[in-house]
Amino acid sequence: MNLARWYMKAMLTNGSLWFWAVAFMAMWLGIGAFLESLGVASTRSAVVAYTTSWYAVIVLIALSLLAAVIAGSYAYGSSALAYAFRYSRLTPAGYLASIVGGSALLGLVLNVVLLGATAGMFGLRFATTILPADPAALLGVSLLGGVFFMALSSTLALLAINHLGLRSADFVGYVPLVLSFVLGNAQVYVAFPRWFVYGSPFNDLTSLLYQGYSGNPPTVELGTAAVSLGWVPLLLGILVWTAALVGCTLVLLRRIRARQLEERRQI
Amino acid sequence: MLDIRGLTVTFPGTTTPALRGIDLRLEGAKMVVVGANGSGKTTLIRSILGLVAPSSGSIAVGGTDVRTIRGEPGLSTNLAEVYRLMSLPVRDLVRLFARLKGGDPAEMEGHLRSFELDPALGKRLYELSTGQQKLVGDLFAVSFGPRLVLLDEPFDNVDFGRRRRLVGLLRALPADVLLNTHELELLGSFADWQLGLMFEGQLLGPFSVAELDRLYLTRGEVRGALAVLRSSVGTFSVTRDAGDRPVKSATSLNALVESLA
Repeated sequence: MNLARWYMKAMLTNGSLWFWAVAFMAMWLGIGAFLESLGVASTRSAVVAYTTSWYAVIVLIALSLLAAVIAGSYAYGSSALAYAFRYSRLTPAGYLASIVGGSALLGLVLNVVLLGATAGMFGLRFATTILPADPAALLGVSLLGGVFFMALSSTLALLAINHLGLRSADFVGYVPLVLSFVLGNAQVYVAFPRWFVYGSPFNDLTSLLYQGYSGNPPTVELGTAAVSLGWVPLLLGILVWTAALVGCTLVLLRRIRARQLEERRQI
Repeated sequence: MLDIRGLTVTFPGTTTPALRGIDLRLEGAKMVVVGANGSGKTTLIRSILGLVAPSSGSIAVGGTDVRTIRGEPGLSTNLAEVYRLMSLPVRDLVRLFARLKGGDPAEMEGHLRSFELDPALGKRLYELSTGQQKLVGDLFAVSFGPRLVLLDEPFDNVDFGRRRRLVGLLRALPADVLLNTHELELLGSFADWQLGLMFEGQLLGPFSVAELDRLYLTRGEVRGALAVLRSSVGTFSVTRDAGDRPVKSATSLNALVESLA
């Protein structure tokens, strides 16, 4: 049973998601374009690298905000899911398939909006056209990113709901955001070893977004030399993480425990 | 349709059970369970829905244990928490649940219109008044061809005119019904239904609402009693035609027990 249409509607009419994942992130893009860019060299390659770095990190954080909203939706609907799996035609696999499809499309929507904001603001600041080199790859990565963050937040939220309680579910909803902020930004400033970037889904996504926008593979330092990251291991890395987390979500959904919203009260 | 045997529920961190050895069978029947707030009525419904795990005993719906039941759209409830599947306007929730239950959304939209709740269609559940939320839950429960309906305080915060219409709808509903209420004065509307009395997690009955005038509560354990209640304030018996206090005279079951304790 496909619920993706309703899931998309619920998400796309969520004012908080639009404010935090779009307006707030667009504000940061504006800061990157107009305030932080004073020291950027005026060469085309420097401008593209600078613009793309901002874009990749901002999209990663926007997707993690989507993850926070999804985690909250489990806290809100744990009783409804437990009921629907027993007393309706909805199955855990059917529900998961719906939110996989819906989250992929939401990732796409967020990416397209932020892509436009990036190209517009950075193009205006540097008085040049900075369009993505491989839009099709970017669209694919954003679909995958939406699914990855949905699966990550679902796994964390369901673990908390099934074993810890709604209070913990509220906190774990922010884990993807914290990891995205730290690892996404750190990749700009820290020379991570290659194995770490390939193994980290957050850095896989950032790197693929960087490559899709700039057309150049991101690099890591190996001794004194800069080594390019291959897109195949990056893609494999995020695919494996996503598949594993989707599997975990399905197992946890089948055992979802109903919690009452009052339990969510922190104070 | 519903078969409960020896159901006991004790919540984590507590020693006093919320439900104590409940036995209940409902097949081709409708039952009102009367009890004060906190007596365990909602916990009973949440247990049947699979939202609360039993500490012991069993619950079967349509012959299948609730712990393993899947894909049985014939059971429905008015508890609002089960309709929070997604944050959507009521109109979309109606369509969504019609699809999940295999029903026609026009049926519930018709109910909403007849209860003058059309304006609720464009609002989310949390945007409705408490009474509107309760009625929308009630109408979800009776829509889409249910075979067993579990109603928790369906008349709370509902105005008099709509109460009457809801009573008529429930009486005519071709389904088994388990209806919880703390309002003894409502019983007159359900004269041909079964009656259960709930106190401190124990369910006494089934009696018949029609014989309410003949039921008495009596101190101690009386030989030949219809049911015996062992509570924290003493032991009482439900007797017929004679006893210490007529059940009908009480404003609530708590008040009745307290008057004898």
